[in-house]
Amino acid sequence: MPPLDKKIKKFLKNSIRVAPKISNKGELGELRTGLVSPYPQTRKDAIKKTIQQMTLGKDVSSLFPDVLKNIATVDVEQKKLVYLYVMNYAETHPELCILAVNTFVTDSQEPNPLIRCMAIRTMSMIRVDKILEYIDTPLRRTLQDDNPYVRKTAVICVAKLFQLNKDLCVELGVLEDLTKALDDTNPMVIANAIAAITEINSMDSTAIALDKLIQSHVSQFLLALNECTEWARITILAALAEYTARDSLEAKDIIDRVTAHLQHVNSAVVLATIKVILKNVTFLDPNQYSPDSKIMKKISSALVSLMSTPPEIQYVALKNIRIILEKYPEILSKELRIFYVKFNDPMYIKLEKIEILVRLVDMSNIKQCTLLLNELKEYSMEFEPEFVSRAIQALAELGIKNGNEMFISKIVDIINNELLERGLETVRDDCCIAMSNLLRCCSTNETMIQQICSTLNSWSAPEDTLTTDLAKCHYIWLMSTYPNHFPSVVEKLTAFVTNFLQEESLTQIIILTSVIKLHSRLEGSVLQNIFETATTHDSVELDVRDMAMIYWRCFSMEGTNDQLINDLCNSSLPKVENILDKFSPETLEKLLTELGTISSIYFKPLDDDTVNASRKRRQIVNQNIIHGKQLNELQDIAKNELSGGHEDVLLDFGDDDSNFINNNSNSGSALNELDDLFSNMNQGVNDLNISQQTSSTTASSENTNKTSNATNTQDLLDLF
Amino acid sequence: MGLYASKLFSNLFGNKEMRILMVGLDGAGKTTVLYKLKLGEVITTIPTIGFNVETVQYKNISFTVWDVGGQDRIRSLWRHYYRNTEGVIFVVDSNDRSRIGEAREVMQRMLNEDELRNAVWLVFANKQDLPEAMSAAEITEKLGLHSIRNRPWFIQSTCATSGEGLYEGLEWLSNNLKNQS
Repeated sequence: MPPLDKKIKKFLKNSIRVAPKISNKGELGELRTGLVSPYPQTRKDAIKKTIQQMTLGKDVSSLFPDVLKNIATVDVEQKKLVYLYVMNYAETHPELCILAVNTFVTDSQEPNPLIRCMAIRTMSMIRVDKILEYIDTPLRRTLQDDNPYVRKTAVICVAKLFQLNKDLCVELGVLEDLTKALDDTNPMVIANAIAAITEINSMDSTAIALDKLIQSHVSQFLLALNECTEWARITILAALAEYTARDSLEAKDIIDRVTAHLQHVNSAVVLATIKVILKNVTFLDPNQYSPDSKIMKKISSALVSLMSTPPEIQYVALKNIRIILEKYPEILSKELRIFYVKFNDPMYIKLEKIEILVRLVDMSNIKQCTLLLNELKEYSMEFEPEFVSRAIQALAELGIKNGNEMFISKIVDIINNELLERGLETVRDDCCIAMSNLLRCCSTNETMIQQICSTLNSWSAPEDTLTTDLAKCHYIWLMSTYPNHFPSVVEKLTAFVTNFLQEESLTQIIILTSVIKLHSRLEGSVLQNIFETATTHDSVELDVRDMAMIYWRCFSMEGTNDQLINDLCNSSLPKVENILDKFSPETLEKLLTELGTISSIYFKPLDDDTVNASRKRRQIVNQNIIHGKQLNELQDIAKNELSGGHEDVLLDFGDDDSNFINNNSNSGSALNELDDLFSNMNQGVNDLNISQQTSSTTASSENTNKTSNATNTQDLLDLF
Repeated sequence: MGLYASKLFSNLFGNKEMRILMVGLDGAGKTTVLYKLKLGEVITTIPTIGFNVETVQYKNISFTVWDVGGQDRIRSLWRHYYRNTEGVIFVVDSNDRSRIGEAREVMQRMLNEDELRNAVWLVFANKQDLPEAMSAAEITEKLGLHSIRNRPWFIQSTCATSGEGLYEGLEWLSNNLKNQS
């Protein structure tokens, strides 16, 4: 019985163990004693407990020097734990990190590849510039390592080094080693190298000629593609998408080589593959990428398979599908059903699916249109207001896209009879907008005008029941366009005029023009009233004001007749053909190259301005990360200033900026040494320096500087 | 088999180690001494930025010897290694007359450290194979070893490359550490 066996073993082990144990409480004092214990077993236990506390979120950074002492060991497990700790807390003790350098250098030539790899990874992860001075030998050694696992880690470390210290990275010449890694025999190394190069390129596009490298290594990428992990594939595919094929033959070859990845389980790989294919497909003969072609069918089935993923991924896929659809509208036309909304879809998926459905539907296929119409009708009968409103909008979009009067009147019937009959006031806004849009599409159909207007006319007090601005605008516009169909137009418009000042500017403008159009029907006082209201100081909207002024002058011009006003207001309107949003051609092209990235979700292609801004921001962050002037230096400053007398400290303002950053890092570590009088002094001087720096940088009033420094000096005097 | 048994034994019982701190100015030969003791051979060393630690078995005592870099910037960090240290080996380059004063200063500062008050003091007058090397007596004089009153101390002339004197030093350490405990 193994459990019993284990129990006995454990019992034996515990009963004959001499080395003291660490209790479960994990108090700092006990851990510290444990870490320097003469018994190796106790030390290891103490490290484990320390890491445990660290993962629980307790601050164990004060144990840094003692944990660091255990870094030189033959025990791989212990080494791993100490490395983990060092990575986490190196920034709190930048001056002590130097003690680990020797171990890193020795470990980078260990026979065990795991240790070599761990050493270089940890070393490049410590964001302390004093460590970076010594990274030269280990990094070079590991880049040339025999073991691919070590090499693939080392190439990533080059990118990390570049982020931390660009100049050093260039000086060491490791960038050349990195580009050589693209010719490596191991696919993982190639993938990581291209990932590192892409990363470096995003930090500074002048450091490495990425485009050229991709051009010259396409064959390596294609070879490596089949043999590496999914994440590496994404990187390689992203690099391939940057490549422009020389001719249709090469494009065909690339497409053939990557097509297999359309069936990958990872949706990011699928999207990246689609991106590569779409990039190369333009080089082919047009009939090779017609909707019925093999390749387009494959893309279509890949996109369909993305629809069975979890909702979050589906959302990304839907956003990307929308981009692809705009370029290749017919690619998914047979798959309409896939995009039908399911009752348990989250709201964001539902809304996005409706977007796709309306864009997807093939207008030449009447059966499909009718099916979608019924589907949308179902949606608009649902209960979630947001969803219903989108569905009603979609009905209008569908009708306008179709353009057939029969079809449109069918939709108007649905809205008029089925939706509004339910008596819900919440749908009125959307119905009003939808009907007005549909009406603009077939403005000659008298029965439809009659039908819509009589419904709208029956609504009482539209100025209160309609909530959105847009709905009000549409309502008023319909009234002013078809006044004969609104028996109660005068009362309704007068009510809107009374509310004039409470409306948004858009509604104000439409009220104004409507009143002018219909001035002959209204009482003269209404016209006078609205001109006065719109131009007095109660009205703050400039557009409304100017417009009212212009009309007012027209009316007061000599010889004004209704003809002029008619000409002004009743121009003929173009027929509405499409109310779906579209990308501009340039945006669409850019978005197609950014499929599967975050910009494809926001539909905001990456432009140079945002890239530069983020690069600048990153640089600033880096400046703050790197620190680590010696404590000694500060001690020297402290000594000098104190020996020079406190008055001198008060007046000395001209320190250089570099100290400012260092102060932040060192003041934290100085806190740990409060038992030491000197560090107390040091701390005081640190504070003083900080206040000096802030005051000199902000250049605020001299008086406040003096007072803050005076208090600091007082603190300093108290220490003695 | 015997080795395995003893390893198992030590693993089970978790044998105790003696903590020895080996310091000195940069280039005194600390790392060479350490690896001569550990491996019995002379290795090519680079300046130690940080520390090396090895366990050396001598007469049934396992010494954990901490070799901490001697460069100026690391000297201030030596103090992190003082706690629980039972013996200090101070390595001096006998050939470097110009820096013997500096060595004395560094050593005297350490002698005043509270955490090291119980540590026994061994000085290695290293690089005795060089023709200009100062003798052990001369170094005793120059380092002011005679003024040490409160602890056992010993000076041993050594040559790390040939291994001469190293084990004599350990012998003294083992005797004196035993005396203490």
